[in-house]
Amino acid sequence: MNALASPPTRTVERGLFSTYGARLGLPAGIVATMLVGSLLSDRFLTLQNLTNVLINMSIVGIIVVGMTFVFVTRGLADLSVPATVAVGGLLVLGLQPSIGTVPAALVGVLAAGIAGAVNGWLVGYAGLNPVITTLASGTIVLGIAQVFVGGVIVYGSDPEAQAFLTGRVFGVVPVIVLIFLAIVSAGHLVLSRTVIGRWSYAVGSNPFATEASAVPVRRVRAFAFLLTGTLAGVSGVLLGVTLQTARPGIGMGYEFDAITAVVVGGVSLLGGSGTVLYAFGGLLFVQLLTNIMVLQGVATEPQGIVKGALIAGAVAIDIALRKRGGRE
Amino acid sequence: MISTRHILDSEAFHALVRNRVVIILVATLVLGATLVPGFLDFRTASLGLDRMATLGLLAIGLTVVLIAGQLDLSGGAILALSGIATIGLQESLGQIPAALVGLGVGIAAGAVNGFLVVVLRINSLVATLASMLFFRALCHLITESRPVSGIDPLFGLVVSRPIAGTFTGRTLLFFALIILLHLWLTRSVAGRQLFAVGSNPASAEASGIRSRAYLFGAFVFSGTMAGVAGVIQSLSVNTGSPVFGESIVLVAIAAVVIGGTRLEGGRGSALGTLGGLLTIAALTTAMEYQSVPAYLQDIVTGVILLLLILLDRTVSSSQRREVTLAALWRRARSSRSSRKNERTPAP
Repeated sequence: MNALASPPTRTVERGLFSTYGARLGLPAGIVATMLVGSLLSDRFLTLQNLTNVLINMSIVGIIVVGMTFVFVTRGLADLSVPATVAVGGLLVLGLQPSIGTVPAALVGVLAAGIAGAVNGWLVGYAGLNPVITTLASGTIVLGIAQVFVGGVIVYGSDPEAQAFLTGRVFGVVPVIVLIFLAIVSAGHLVLSRTVIGRWSYAVGSNPFATEASAVPVRRVRAFAFLLTGTLAGVSGVLLGVTLQTARPGIGMGYEFDAITAVVVGGVSLLGGSGTVLYAFGGLLFVQLLTNIMVLQGVATEPQGIVKGALIAGAVAIDIALRKRGGRE
Repeated sequence: MISTRHILDSEAFHALVRNRVVIILVATLVLGATLVPGFLDFRTASLGLDRMATLGLLAIGLTVVLIAGQLDLSGGAILALSGIATIGLQESLGQIPAALVGLGVGIAAGAVNGFLVVVLRINSLVATLASMLFFRALCHLITESRPVSGIDPLFGLVVSRPIAGTFTGRTLLFFALIILLHLWLTRSVAGRQLFAVGSNPASAEASGIRSRAYLFGAFVFSGTMAGVAGVIQSLSVNTGSPVFGESIVLVAIAAVVIGGTRLEGGRGSALGTLGGLLTIAALTTAMEYQSVPAYLQDIVTGVILLLLILLDRTVSSSQRREVTLAALWRRARSSRSSRKNERTPAP
């Protein structure tokens, strides 16, 4: 640093490291992953492969946006995501033949949104523990969705919609990726630039002080769950239409994938900090890593070793940095 | 007057809510007995309980973790891992040493969870989510995603055969352990201190309890119980599979919560967990005899769970209101009497 300020340099440096270390760690990690990937495989840094990575992250990425809101408002996590994804997927394909794809998609998203609203009411207004509540409501919602379709696999009947979603704009970017990027941008703007976004941070950092400042704490917390439910429904609809098949277990694992991305993106489970962009970065990092493992021929299941270590490592580093920095 | 105060204090109502698991259990049993012929036969009960034993062992560990105010999602993965060790190592080590290794796997996995939560201070939900993914992946890696078979299918009969014409070995083990847990929680100093740690780790620490040791111990205990469950499960079917116990943790948490243990920590009981398990066992048996589809069973379980946590919530907030109501009542009475006093000297 500069010569005049030589004695306090150590503390300044440490302060800088803890302030920017956490913020730059993720971009650095992504760059490093891309470097390693391109060194390990010729196929990694091709347009085709990177587009595949984007397609793969689109479905879960839409849920990540909602989950970020849940984390920021100190809502712990929404474990009903597999159910709401399944609701979207099952309803869009189940209703497709009778009312058409677009209305069916709307019904699917609406139904998932209602489930999210119920979660929001239970957590925000009734004050229940989010983990057990979303666990229970997920079971119920999935059960109801299965009653509608008779508990079996549903097949799609509209290949045109499938072709539209996977079709490429300008011959490069698939429509589904555009939808995903639009939702991420919108989510980022809402969280960083709007009143409800600022309220979300306030509710997450100190609910009591926020309540005392006349912010509708319950509504803000309920909104996070409503948003997650709705977006999971959107995810489910897109998943159902692209696969043209949906079974009740279609959303399994998405809740954990979304939580992994959010946590690796440095969004605190204790609420009040983190951004949608960083959660997106966390997702990108995890997906690139997965992609490298796939290119290296690692089977799907053992990849959990890396994912598990990644979650624990990311959170532990985050906590250690905060302790040393004494602030966020 | 006296009756109003009675309702306000409502000792009986509170006792009712506290022991709601008994009421639910009795209701389930009555319902089952009317719907299913032979529901209350000993054989039906024995079979129903036998299927519940593995779940019960996991729930014992979870009861302790939940009382300590933490959460453990990794039980199912630990169960699978220790099962794979128990069966996979039989050829090279022999059956009993392999089972002991399986148990050791559970203890070690619990220690990993404890390390993540207590030393690295990671929130237990995220920490055990990470370790769950890790252990499950390890199972797939070791077995290459294929189930492994044991050398002697008869060896496992120890745990799955009825002993002296009563319950199966694993059911008896579960009963013994849950009674021990009940005694430990209610009669021992350490048990009381666990509740203190669960309700407020910082103040427990301030009053000389080593909170962190208790938290670590809770995770090791939970891992151990998952290990025991894994050993028993794998021995009874003579197979270790990487997909064992994939959705068992959520059901176990549901059973513990139905039994009145709070996710917020500091409250709960072993007998409550027993009641919760019996309720789920009775419900499952009754619904399966009626050939209710699995997804309808899920709806019923979910609704019961949700209603119970809502009830918990309303009771804990009405307790607060009751205090204020009782205070209001007293205030009203005292103000009336003071008014009387005011009035008496007036004329």
